[in-house]
Amino acid sequence: MLRLVLATALGRAAGRLSRLLGRGGSALPGLIAEKVDPRTIERLVAPVRRGVVVVTGTNGKTTTTKMLVGMLEGEGWQVVTNGTGSNLARGIASRLIEVASWKGRVDADVAVFEADEAAVRTLAPRLRPKVIVVTNLARDQLDRYGELATTAAHVAEAVRHAGVAVLNADDPLVAEMAASAPAARFFGGAEAVRRAMPHDSGLYGPGEEAPRPPLDLCLEGAEPEGDGQVIELAAASGERAAAHLRISGPYNGYNAAAAILAAGEMGVPLARAIGSLEETRPAFGRGQVVECRGRRVKLQLVKNPAGFNQAIRLLGALPAGAPVLIAINDLDADGRDVSWLWDARVEDLAGTGHRFGTAGLRAYDMALRLKYAGLDAWSESDFAAALERFLGEVPPGGTGYLVPTYTAMLRFLDLLMPGTSKREAWA
Amino acid sequence: MSDLVIAHLYPYEMNIYGDTGNVIALRRRLEWRGLGARVDPVPVGAGYDFTAADLVFGGGGQDRSQLQVAEDLQRRSVAIHEAVAAGTVFLTICGTYQLFGRRFLTQDGSEIPGIGVFSMETIGGRKRMIGNVVAATQWGDLVGFENHSGRTLLDPGQAALGRVKKGYGNNETRREEGAVTANCFGTYLHGSLLPKNPGFADELLRRGLSRRHGAGVALEPLDDRLEHLTAAAAARRP
Repeated sequence: MLRLVLATALGRAAGRLSRLLGRGGSALPGLIAEKVDPRTIERLVAPVRRGVVVVTGTNGKTTTTKMLVGMLEGEGWQVVTNGTGSNLARGIASRLIEVASWKGRVDADVAVFEADEAAVRTLAPRLRPKVIVVTNLARDQLDRYGELATTAAHVAEAVRHAGVAVLNADDPLVAEMAASAPAARFFGGAEAVRRAMPHDSGLYGPGEEAPRPPLDLCLEGAEPEGDGQVIELAAASGERAAAHLRISGPYNGYNAAAAILAAGEMGVPLARAIGSLEETRPAFGRGQVVECRGRRVKLQLVKNPAGFNQAIRLLGALPAGAPVLIAINDLDADGRDVSWLWDARVEDLAGTGHRFGTAGLRAYDMALRLKYAGLDAWSESDFAAALERFLGEVPPGGTGYLVPTYTAMLRFLDLLMPGTSKREAWA
Repeated sequence: MSDLVIAHLYPYEMNIYGDTGNVIALRRRLEWRGLGARVDPVPVGAGYDFTAADLVFGGGGQDRSQLQVAEDLQRRSVAIHEAVAAGTVFLTICGTYQLFGRRFLTQDGSEIPGIGVFSMETIGGRKRMIGNVVAATQWGDLVGFENHSGRTLLDPGQAALGRVKKGYGNNETRREEGAVTANCFGTYLHGSLLPKNPGFADELLRRGLSRRHGAGVALEPLDDRLEHLTAAAAARRP
């Protein structure tokens, strides 16, 4: 107890100091507290009244977490959650310290934590989640994780420590985790939706169709509507519903289904979950729209071929002539290896008539990828200059599409909304 | 219309390091010159007559696939040795490159036999060699990205592809990168390799075309300024 109070206090002091020094929401408080009391996380989450939900997977963690938090807050519950860029143990510890009283007590009904898929194996036994959501698994940052099979084994290990696992039935690597889970619920898409959602395992040539487990919640349709989409859902109970999302992309329909199932496990009925879902705005950089000088910039973060293919699909659905700026950095948080650009279906952009620019530390790599897909692009490695040129191509009142990797996104958001990276991330 | 036949070894099993980009580059650089290529995918278990191919490509892949691929390669060993002897052009990268050596000794001491086109062996290690690489070769500097824990040791007399100027290459001590035997090339560089090393891509194409159409095939020069800018930018990254 005393140790936890000390850990919390020292962690908090470190956080204050760090903010004074202008470093923003850092992982430092968690790092320090865990040095003083290695069981900080366990002790701080223990009193959370309705338990913990963990959201993991390669793509869609942040959006799913945001949707789920909205649903739980819609019940009038006090929810603790972590933000983008703090999904490792130290980030989660930092967030808990931030909301804890000086006695080291967290006053909350529910905690929802996004967890990095490489860190979740060690986090799950510490958080003992009531529910764990696995969105999907795709190759991501090979230089960091080694490979997909290892990541899948790690996540399967984490799933053991949850009460119930909410799993993507359409992602074979995720669906087979049911074998490790004490109980499992499945979300998935109807045939037409699945066709619009290529998975990493199906990206190349023929893959065998594994038999799919029966769905608890099926995404029956996803049709674009304005900046968002209308999704149709069918529950195993026979209940059906439609939801108007402010967030586009069929994969976000999957994220919505995952969030609804997880909320259901926490006691939120479908109709109320949908009410909250319709209010959820895009997460940081995930389809987020930023206004700038009378123009709209829509951001679509990319970090791996599966995510890039989703962005390519969104761009392919736009009217011809859209200005598109693809910004590729190769820092640690982006993945240092940019080979994945060659595994995405960039060829599908040929014939869209869009106007392409490239930026970032690896702007030329992206321009070269486009060249070999038969597309011309300008390149500008300086972020401010690239943004100027890009905005110059967007007519007043029009929309431009910015497709950045993580650290490139932070650079652009700092230019569009000064101070963003200090608030949102530690990178 | 195919002026060149390219065989792509294990396109579904060894496909996670952007190596498909090498096939895209070969195909495009022919198309831009008014030539056409046929690409034959050769997955594990499929029958394939290597005498039909002018250029064979095999990339890097998942460790899990490597065992499957190793077994499949054993069945093709005689055919591949014959093709190498007949002057077929091979480009093997990372995982496939390792299996073109005599054997791969894994960290836990087990042995994965290779097909011995290159006189070399690879020993699994704990340390992963990761980062951008620049290697000096007789076709100019090659720039790529390496990510491997196997250390490859060439026998005395086995020619390397190049000398490492930056990064690790075959292993952390000898400053050698890759291997060359006749028209068969091996390297650790992906990223993808050929799009940003157009001189080397054209060398492979020239050799492949000469095999089919007789010696002295000349390739029209292309505008490779973007390719060179890309290589230069990659070479500056850690």
